[in-house]
Amino acid sequence: MSAVRCVDLCKTYRQGDQDIKALDHVNLEITSGDFVCLSAPSGGGKTTLLNAIGGLDTPDSGEVYVAGQRIDNLSKSDLADLRLRKIGFVFQAYNLIPVLTARENIEFVMQVQGVPASERREKSLAILHEVGLETLEDRRPAKMSGGQQQRVAVARAIVSRPELVLADEPTANLDSKTAGELMELFTALNERHNSTFIIATHDQHIMTYAKRLIRMLDGRIVEDIDQRAA
Amino acid sequence: MHIVLRLAWRNLWRQPRRTWLTTGAMVFCNILLVFMMSMQFGMYGMMIDNTLQIFTGHLQVQAPGYKDEQKMRQVVPNILPLANTIRAELQSKAVAARGRTFVLASSEERSYGVMVYGVEPEFEQNVSNIPGLVRDGRYLRDHDAAEIVIGSILARNLRVDIGDEMTLLGGGADGSFAAAVVDVVGIFTSGVTAIDRNIAEIPLGLFQETFSMRGAGHQIVVVGEDLDEVPLLQMRVQSVLPAGSELQVLDWDTLQPGLRQVIQADMSSSFFMYFVLVVLVSFSVLNTQLMSVLERTREFGIVMALGLKPGKLGGLIMLETALMGMMGVVLGAFAGALFTSWFTTNGLAIPGMEEMAAQFNLPAKMYPRVNLLTLLAGPGIVFVFTMLAAIYPALRLRWQNPVEAMRVA
Amino acid sequence: MRLFGVLFRLAWRNLWRNHRRTTIMLCAIAVGVWAMIFMTALTRGMVDQMIIEGIRTLPGHVQIHNPKFLDDPSISNPVSISAQQSFDDPEIVAWSSRVKVPAVISSERESRGITLLGIDPVAERHISFIKYDEVDGRFLVDSDDKGIVIGAKLANILETEIGKRVVIMSQDPDNDIADRGFRVVGLYTASTGAVEEAYAFVGRATVQKMLRIGNQTTEVVFVGDDYRDVEALYEVILDAVDDSVSVQRWYETNTYLGSMLNVMDGFVVVWIIVIFLALSFGLVNTLMMAVFERVREIGLMLALGMKPGSILGQILIESMLLLLIGLVAGNMLAWATVMSLQGGIDVSVVAEGLEMFGAASVLYPKLNVDDMILASKVVLVLGFLASLSPAWRASRYKPVEALAKVG
Ligand SMILES: Nc1ncnc2c1ncn2[C@@H]1O[C@H](COP(=O)(O)OP(=O)(O)OP(=O)(O)O)[C@@H](O)[C@H]1O
Ligand SMILES: [Mg+2]
Repeated sequence: MSAVRCVDLCKTYRQGDQDIKALDHVNLEITSGDFVCLSAPSGGGKTTLLNAIGGLDTPDSGEVYVAGQRIDNLSKSDLADLRLRKIGFVFQAYNLIPVLTARENIEFVMQVQGVPASERREKSLAILHEVGLETLEDRRPAKMSGGQQQRVAVARAIVSRPELVLADEPTANLDSKTAGELMELFTALNERHNSTFIIATHDQHIMTYAKRLIRMLDGRIVEDIDQRAA
Repeated sequence: MHIVLRLAWRNLWRQPRRTWLTTGAMVFCNILLVFMMSMQFGMYGMMIDNTLQIFTGHLQVQAPGYKDEQKMRQVVPNILPLANTIRAELQSKAVAARGRTFVLASSEERSYGVMVYGVEPEFEQNVSNIPGLVRDGRYLRDHDAAEIVIGSILARNLRVDIGDEMTLLGGGADGSFAAAVVDVVGIFTSGVTAIDRNIAEIPLGLFQETFSMRGAGHQIVVVGEDLDEVPLLQMRVQSVLPAGSELQVLDWDTLQPGLRQVIQADMSSSFFMYFVLVVLVSFSVLNTQLMSVLERTREFGIVMALGLKPGKLGGLIMLETALMGMMGVVLGAFAGALFTSWFTTNGLAIPGMEEMAAQFNLPAKMYPRVNLLTLLAGPGIVFVFTMLAAIYPALRLRWQNPVEAMRVA
Repeated sequence: MRLFGVLFRLAWRNLWRNHRRTTIMLCAIAVGVWAMIFMTALTRGMVDQMIIEGIRTLPGHVQIHNPKFLDDPSISNPVSISAQQSFDDPEIVAWSSRVKVPAVISSERESRGITLLGIDPVAERHISFIKYDEVDGRFLVDSDDKGIVIGAKLANILETEIGKRVVIMSQDPDNDIADRGFRVVGLYTASTGAVEEAYAFVGRATVQKMLRIGNQTTEVVFVGDDYRDVEALYEVILDAVDDSVSVQRWYETNTYLGSMLNVMDGFVVVWIIVIFLALSFGLVNTLMMAVFERVREIGLMLALGMKPGSILGQILIESMLLLLIGLVAGNMLAWATVMSLQGGIDVSVVAEGLEMFGAASVLYPKLNVDDMILASKVVLVLGFLASLSPAWRASRYKPVEALAKVG
């Protein structure tokens, strides 16, 4: 079954009198439970594609399907619901709400979803344990290191078992050791929970963790490698 | 433009909306202050003028004790010659002698207690506006004629009209019984109930004869050009009083202590209101400037690390505040003047206010008076408070060291 | 509801994130609310006193007259209700019928015009502004009392004193002068000298005899529970009498007092709104800054699937919390101030000025729960409206763009 399917996606930005094709007829299908790295040099269109898949932005033309449902024509409110229930996000930085503690940040999405408190608590404690941050439960983001913050963000993205986790350069602000640890965490969670992961990066080292590697250049897919065979 | 000034000006417009909102608070406050102060001064001026114009005048010569007790025998002897002396000394016709007593006034059908004034018909119009308020009939003419002019409510209550006869019953200065029969020749309407209901005027000659005054009266009223002239007039009048006489020259403030006190009471409550408004605006400025300092902590840290003294930065904050304050003053005073001047021509009528206004001899429509004081006092005070409010944010910079400042994200 | 919990928590924590800004804003709101309520309490206190005093010296709460008396306040227009008729209704706390005529009072030395009140001292006890046992000498004992009680200031002007005789002249229904000597038996003091000069009290039966009017009186006054609520009393009396008399409420009898009440009501509302407007600039500014510095988080929350409505709600809750805390502080401050001034504020330096208003020289601020509620309502409702713009702006951010903001 396919977790994500893109058909002929196009997105053009105007800059001055110049048209920039951020997405240029992108066709893509990602199967459920896959672990995909999206790699491109800066300005290659990674963020644009992830935003389109995640329902944060709408493409100019083409179709986007998430878990079999077409989403590029959904209303804003339906998109918000989609993001809330089916997709987990990890951004490059400023992932956490500063006034909430680690656990509250993790519970945030569930709380908006309307999950009862006891269930929330149980799940958030379990996931904190899983990402190895059980001791930071009551700490606010300002008092955590970058790596710890990203782990909390990952925990939040995964805790309500979304079908799809989108991470846009999650390791960009981390040193290579911490980045490696975070990727290990992603891989472990992918195997354990069977969620589909799409991680955008331009870091060669990170790409080695992927089962499938998609390379983009100037808004087009230029290479699609199944790394499992290797 | 000086570089620091330009820097301050640009900094102000980094957050245009915030700057506008803060300036807006000042402008709002300034418009209100200009309007309210102009209104106040307009009202006070009118209140004084109207109250004094009716009877009191600017100065009065009276016997000692008369002001408080108003007894019939507390007289100014030989009042007409003295009035003439004062007229000659001041070279002014706005000097008039009066007698004043209480009588029972009876018409054919009704009797009421009335305050009756004996006046000099040819001079009274220069010191009081009652002669000019005669709507029906005419004012008194002859110094000795058996004529009377009464208020309109009194006329209604007594059921008399022009040409009707009235009887006045009272007591003479010597304690004797006094009575006079007079013809109603005029009816005046001042709009002030207490005056229209209680006051009557007869010629002074008739008054002196009826009430056995033996040439005396109770008050000589003097009106000057304006209120500032009063102290000088007072001295000059004093100087022509007969040697050894106990007579007093009282100014309007002494004669109508209530007037000044109404103004004082009103002023203190107004100043309380102004103060609250200004304090609220100061809070707004304090908040804005503090935020502007806090959000630039990093930036300030860097320039301090480069060696700039915190005092200079504090000065920059004060300068920014001063610029913003100046905008508030200029825009506020301008808008305030515009807003108020509309009312200076059109007047302001507050519905339901008429009764209250009448109590203070004010017309139903009030006209603010704009002058330099009312225009600049309010905005000036707002400016001072604005600068005071910026002191804390400016001082905060001093307590900061560069390393700490830079650490703040 | 659960969502509200999240929003509330976020709003509360965000409120204290920049505690300096919040504290300053709270101070401003508290001072503003304090000023609203304190100033109102002062005005209310003054007007209340004026009206109560005014009602006591004059009209009672409701009065009955001969319809012609209003235009022609003469003894020729008496009230046809005899003094013996009884009014009995729970609304009526006290009532009395009076002979009220203009008169001239003369001592051997001076004459003055006064309002002569022929009263039944027993019925009048709970209506009159005079405290009988504080009268110098004695107050009238009954309707047949042959004495007269005058104000201390009038006695001074007339150069008379207790035990001396004065002559009262007035007019009988045939317009003949009726006069009679009275012995001064008591001197009263009132809050203003003008009152002391204006009113003299004699026994009702005595004055009826002097004026040859039999049992007739000129007015009947009624006092109910509260001057603010005279309508019920008015209805009762309207039912009890026929068309031959006119029934008036106090604010119709004394239009100055009536208009005073309205003007003050208007003033209170205007004052509250002006203060709020002065506050609103700071409020909007604070909220706007709060939104501006949180654009990224707002983007994040939107990306995570929170609806724009919730963002709007969150900012509004934050604003309401700010206002509520400020309101509580301001109300308590005002309450404390008024409590500490229970002894009254001595303003006798401007006593003669206040006398022109009809106000006394000690001011008692009067805290009115209704005014506190009014001020709070105005602050909350207008505050809500003022917050809408920044909150709306916050909810309109596009998640992608908001996230891209460098913060
Ligand atoms: N809001 C925008 N307005 C104009 N051009 C845009 C906008 N967003 C993206 N672009 C352009 O679209 C292209 C693709 O941008 P995108 O952000 O998807 O690249 P990216 O691969 O994520 O790059 P990076 O690795 O730097 O994040 C770039 O050329 C960029 O300049
Ligand atoms: Mg990108």
